[in-house]
Amino acid sequence: MFLHIIKTEWLKLKNYLAFWLLLLATAISYPGINAIVYFGYDETTKPKNQSGQLLKMLLGNPFHFPEVYHTTAFLSSFFTFIPAIVVIMLITNEYQFITHRQNIIDGWQKPTFIWGKFISVLLIAIMVSLFFFAVATVIGFIATPDVTKVELFAKGKYIGLFFLQIFTQLSFAFLLGLLVRKAFIAYGLFIFYGMIVENIAGAFFKLKTAKFGGVDYGQFLPFEISDRLIPIPPFIGRFNEAEYKIALSAVDKHIIYSLVFLVFTWVLSFYIFKKRDL
Amino acid sequence: MSVLQIHNLSKSYGKIKALSDVSFDVPKGAVFGLLGPNGSGKTTLLSIILDILGADAGSFAWFGEPSTFVHRQRIGSLLETPNFYHYLSAVQNLRITQSISGRGDDAAIDEVLKTVKLYDRRNSKFSTYSLGMKQRLAIAAALLGNPEILLLDEPTNGLDPVGIAEIRELIKSLAAAGHTIIMASHLLDEVEKVCDHVAILKYGKLIASGSVASVLADEDCYLINAHNKERLIELIHQIPGVSKVIETQEGVECYIKDGQLSAESINQYCFQHDLTLNQLSAKRKRLEEKFFELTN
Repeated sequence: MFLHIIKTEWLKLKNYLAFWLLLLATAISYPGINAIVYFGYDETTKPKNQSGQLLKMLLGNPFHFPEVYHTTAFLSSFFTFIPAIVVIMLITNEYQFITHRQNIIDGWQKPTFIWGKFISVLLIAIMVSLFFFAVATVIGFIATPDVTKVELFAKGKYIGLFFLQIFTQLSFAFLLGLLVRKAFIAYGLFIFYGMIVENIAGAFFKLKTAKFGGVDYGQFLPFEISDRLIPIPPFIGRFNEAEYKIALSAVDKHIIYSLVFLVFTWVLSFYIFKKRDL
Repeated sequence: MSVLQIHNLSKSYGKIKALSDVSFDVPKGAVFGLLGPNGSGKTTLLSIILDILGADAGSFAWFGEPSTFVHRQRIGSLLETPNFYHYLSAVQNLRITQSISGRGDDAAIDEVLKTVKLYDRRNSKFSTYSLGMKQRLAIAAALLGNPEILLLDEPTNGLDPVGIAEIRELIKSLAAAGHTIIMASHLLDEVEKVCDHVAILKYGKLIASGSVASVLADEDCYLINAHNKERLIELIHQIPGVSKVIETQEGVECYIKDGQLSAESINQYCFQHDLTLNQLSAKRKRLEEKFFELTN
C-alpha cells in the first residue's frame, strides 16, 4: 500500500518545477546561514591580537566537532519557514486544483490521501535533515583543527532532535494548510503566528509564570514545544548559565511533548479530512 | 440486474434540503439520464454515490454491495469540473488517474487521448488547455481502462457543436458495447437522444423515473386537422377519453389519458359526425415538454 502511495505522490511531484526550485532554495539556505555565521565567527576570532583571542576564549569553538551539530542545528532551526512553503503548497495545491476530490473519486480512500501527504512531509523532513547533517559535517571538518582528537558524533543526538523539530513544525504547517485550504492565507498565518503571536504569547507566559502556579505554559505553544528541543548553544548559553542548564534539562521532556504533538497533528489531519465534505 | 440501487437518500445544507428521500435503480447496461433544473440536487446525488459527500439518511449500493473504494475504481467519473494538476501534461495527469484507479496502462492512455482527440496535445500542460480540451481530458480520464460504468456530470460542457456530437456518438457506442452510463445533464435534447432511462429531480425530490418511453408515455397526443376547425374542436371535446384539447398553429392537439383512445376511433367518431379529417398524426411528447410540465 505505501509503495503505491509513494509512487502516486512521486508522479504528482516529479515534474513540478516550483516544488524542486523551493527544495533547492531550502538546500541553499542551510549552508548559507551557517556559512555566514561560521565565517563571521572565524573572521572575528582569527586576529592574534588581544580582542580576537579574548572573544575566542569567551565563545569557545562552536563550529568544532562535536559542538558543530548543536550550533548548526540551532542556527538552521530559524529557517523552517522555507520548507514550510513546500509543505503548505503540497496540500493547498490539491484544494486549488480540486484534485483532493478527484483522487477520492478515482478510487483512493480518504485516509490514503492523508497517508500520501504524511509520507511526503516525512520525506521532506528527512531531506531537510540530510541538508543540515551535510552542512554541519562539512563545517565541522573545515573548522576542527585535528579531527582525530575529537569524538565526532558526541553531540550527534542533535541530528535526531533537528529531524524531530523540523518534522513537528512542518506537520503543523501541513495542518494549517489543510484547515485554511488557501496557500497565501495558510502561509501568512504560519509566519504571523510563528514569528509574532507565539513570541508575544511566549514572553507573556514567561513573565506571568508565578501567576500560573510556577508553570511556564509557553512551553506548550505549538512552535515552542519543538523549538525547545534545540536549546541555545553553549557559546551563547554561557552568558546565562542558569537558564542554559534549565533549557538543557528540559530537552527530554520536549521530546515527549513533540511526539505527542506530532501524533495529535496527524490524527487531527486524518479526522478533518475524513469528516469534511470534499 | 441493477448496478446502482439508491434508497431514500437525503441531504441538507443547513436549512436547505438538497435531497429528500430519493430512491431509484440504475439497470445494468442502461444509459441513465439524471435531469433537473439548476439546484435540483443532481450533483449532490452524484457526489454522495461517489463518497465525496456524506448523506444525512438513506443508503446506496453499487453492484448490490455497500460502496467501497474498490467500486469507485471500477467507475469512470467526471464530476462537475475537470480536476487535474495544472502543471502536468495530459499524459502525466492520466498516469496519476491510472495509478490511483488501477485502470489501464500507457497504451490505454494513448488510446483514450486519441478517442477524445487530444493525442497531438498530449504533452502540453493542462494549464494551457482551452475549456473544451480540459473537458475532453476529463472524459479521457473517465474512459481510461474501459470501465464498466461511466458517471458523467454534464459531459458536453464547454464543447463546440462538433465536440458535442462526437461525445454523443461516443456515449452511444459505449452503451452499445454494454457499458452502463449515468449522465447528469440539463440539456434535455441530449438526454433524449442518448438515454434510455431517466430520473427527474426537482428541489431535491424525485418526481419521475423509469425508461424514457414510460416517463413520456403517460399521455398520448394526436395532431389533428380538418377544414372546419371550430367543428373539429367541438367534436373532439365530445369524444370520451380526451383529457385536453389545445389549438396550435400546426392544428389541434388532442391529449388522451393512458392510451384509452386510438387514432382509428377518433377518425371514426369525426367521420360519423360528418367531419372529414385532413391530418391525424400521433405526436410523441418531447422530453423537453414533459420536463417543463413536471418541473413547473
